[in-house]
Amino acid sequence: MNIVAILMLTGDRLKYLGLVAGLAFTTLMITQQASILRGMASQTGAFIRDTGQADLWVMDPQVEFSEDGKPLQDTAIYRVRGVEGVEWAVPVYKNWLKAQLPDGRKFTVIVVGLDDATLVGAPPEMIQGRLEDLRQDKAIFIEARDSTTKLILEKGQFKNNPRGLQVGDRISINDHELRVAGTMKLSKSFFWDPVMYTTYSRALSFAPPERRLLNYVLVKVRPGYDHKQVAASIERATGLHTQTGPEFEKTTMMYILGKTGILINFGLAVGLGVLIGLLVAGQTLYAFTLDNLKQFGALKAMGAGNWLIVRMMVVQVLIVALLGFGIGLGAAALMGKAILATDLAFLMTWEIIGICGVALLLICLVAGLASILKVLRLEPVVVFKT
Amino acid sequence: MSTATLPITQPSARGPAALAIRCRGVTKAFATGNTKVHALRGVDLDVAVGELMMLVGPSGCGKTTLISVIAGILDRDEGECDVFGEDFSKMSGGQKTRFRGQTVGFVFQQFNLLPALTAAQNVAVPLLINGVSHSVAIKKATELLGRVGLGDRAGSFPRQLSGGQQQRVAIARALVHDPRLIVCDEPTSALDHETGHVVMRLLKNVALGEGRTLVIVTHDARIFGFADRISKMDDGRIVQTIVGRENIAAQAAR
Repeated sequence: MNIVAILMLTGDRLKYLGLVAGLAFTTLMITQQASILRGMASQTGAFIRDTGQADLWVMDPQVEFSEDGKPLQDTAIYRVRGVEGVEWAVPVYKNWLKAQLPDGRKFTVIVVGLDDATLVGAPPEMIQGRLEDLRQDKAIFIEARDSTTKLILEKGQFKNNPRGLQVGDRISINDHELRVAGTMKLSKSFFWDPVMYTTYSRALSFAPPERRLLNYVLVKVRPGYDHKQVAASIERATGLHTQTGPEFEKTTMMYILGKTGILINFGLAVGLGVLIGLLVAGQTLYAFTLDNLKQFGALKAMGAGNWLIVRMMVVQVLIVALLGFGIGLGAAALMGKAILATDLAFLMTWEIIGICGVALLLICLVAGLASILKVLRLEPVVVFKT
Repeated sequence: MSTATLPITQPSARGPAALAIRCRGVTKAFATGNTKVHALRGVDLDVAVGELMMLVGPSGCGKTTLISVIAGILDRDEGECDVFGEDFSKMSGGQKTRFRGQTVGFVFQQFNLLPALTAAQNVAVPLLINGVSHSVAIKKATELLGRVGLGDRAGSFPRQLSGGQQQRVAIARALVHDPRLIVCDEPTSALDHETGHVVMRLLKNVALGEGRTLVIVTHDARIFGFADRISKMDDGRIVQTIVGRENIAAQAAR
């Protein structure tokens, strides 16, 4: 009878396509919004992930997220190095500073200063130049994507021939001249300001006086030592807060999602998707059932039991759910692929696909429940009524 | 020509063993708000195996309610009603459904063919309900369509068939699982005279020819001549039973 169920379903093309389209749209809405939210959440930890060489991050206890790097005393670095289990500890500077491009435009940029000797915390991938080039006089690295999107030279002499900031160009940060010595590739970040890397000492040299302090101490734990125990030891010895990279990522993510209202907004969008799906699927399925009520009655009269009818309806629901899910998921994936090259956030994980699949199935079953109950209550004698 | 009216309680000449349907004192009432409508007020009815019995009477007299009770799709309130010796009231819902699926074939006034299914697929439905595989069901359905003269229309959808053809498909569907009882509700009322006769000939020759019992509800006096017996109903009771070719012909001529 599964074939009969499928033929009954596909027989009414308009309703069938409407049902599939409605569920596809629901899937698209749920997966797309969830993937954007997941992408945004993931992007909040981009800087921490890009600084992957360190096991532990030491920071002011009041730091609430990665961009909130409150200044630490220089002595913090030495106190951390003195803790047992610490293989090495290096400073990291991170701050928003004012930069001026060659075309005269001024920008706020995020400047990251790396330990001069080790360059620990360096970007994961260089596009142009070598990491060692950062030690050249006045050297600064820019993010490759920024150079084609945010750092465009388009005023003054560049008005007629606009182009992106490139290696060899000179910029100034806090009236200190710097030279672009390389481009790097960073993970997409939730924060929108252009990112520039230089050495720790150079960053301090052009940072405003009140900000000439390190923000984080990056720590490598000695082999054989437990990260959690070393972190606890650092906290006891210095009074500073210490987190592993994943912990710091989570702290940052939860802070941003909670403070910005992103979670609620996207949650509402996902909820709206579920509601639309329920209404569309429910209404269409119910209309489909009402149209076929006499046929279901005839089937019951001819000996089709309630469970057989329920099985047929579940088969119909599963088919439209599967098709709608596939089409919606495909459309969401295509949208994601289209924005892959941009700064927009999108991360479709297996968890999202799985949860959305289950959600859609539940939507269909709940939507189909009214139809199923209607048919279960249907007396086969209806076939004798004209 | 005189019309023979038999007492409604008269047992069949073939004796109880040859009875397909035996009803005694069957009642059925429907509640509509505070009002109770008595659709059946103590029906006694015997239908012999191999008999074509027509139930006639004015609208609302209880014909459809009676065949619904006989076919096991409506529960009676009181009385007894056995179909091939089986009492629906002693069966569970599932047993009733299974019994109906195996023992009863239906022909409906509006055909009730599934529009998305071809003629062969429609005919195969009762077999599929009984768990026969799709390929076997379609093969048997196609054979049966040949017997009702629609061998070349097996792949046609109901919308591509005339009313008479659709009713022939419905007859094939009613026969495909070899039921012992076929219940027809106004099988010719949606058809013209000639097509109605074609359908009745099919029912008489193909359906009844295999030792089945047919119960037909009809208003259509033009087909009375096909009946072995006519039971007239009024106000929830059988008020007259007419047997014999001449008596039935006389009834048809009225």
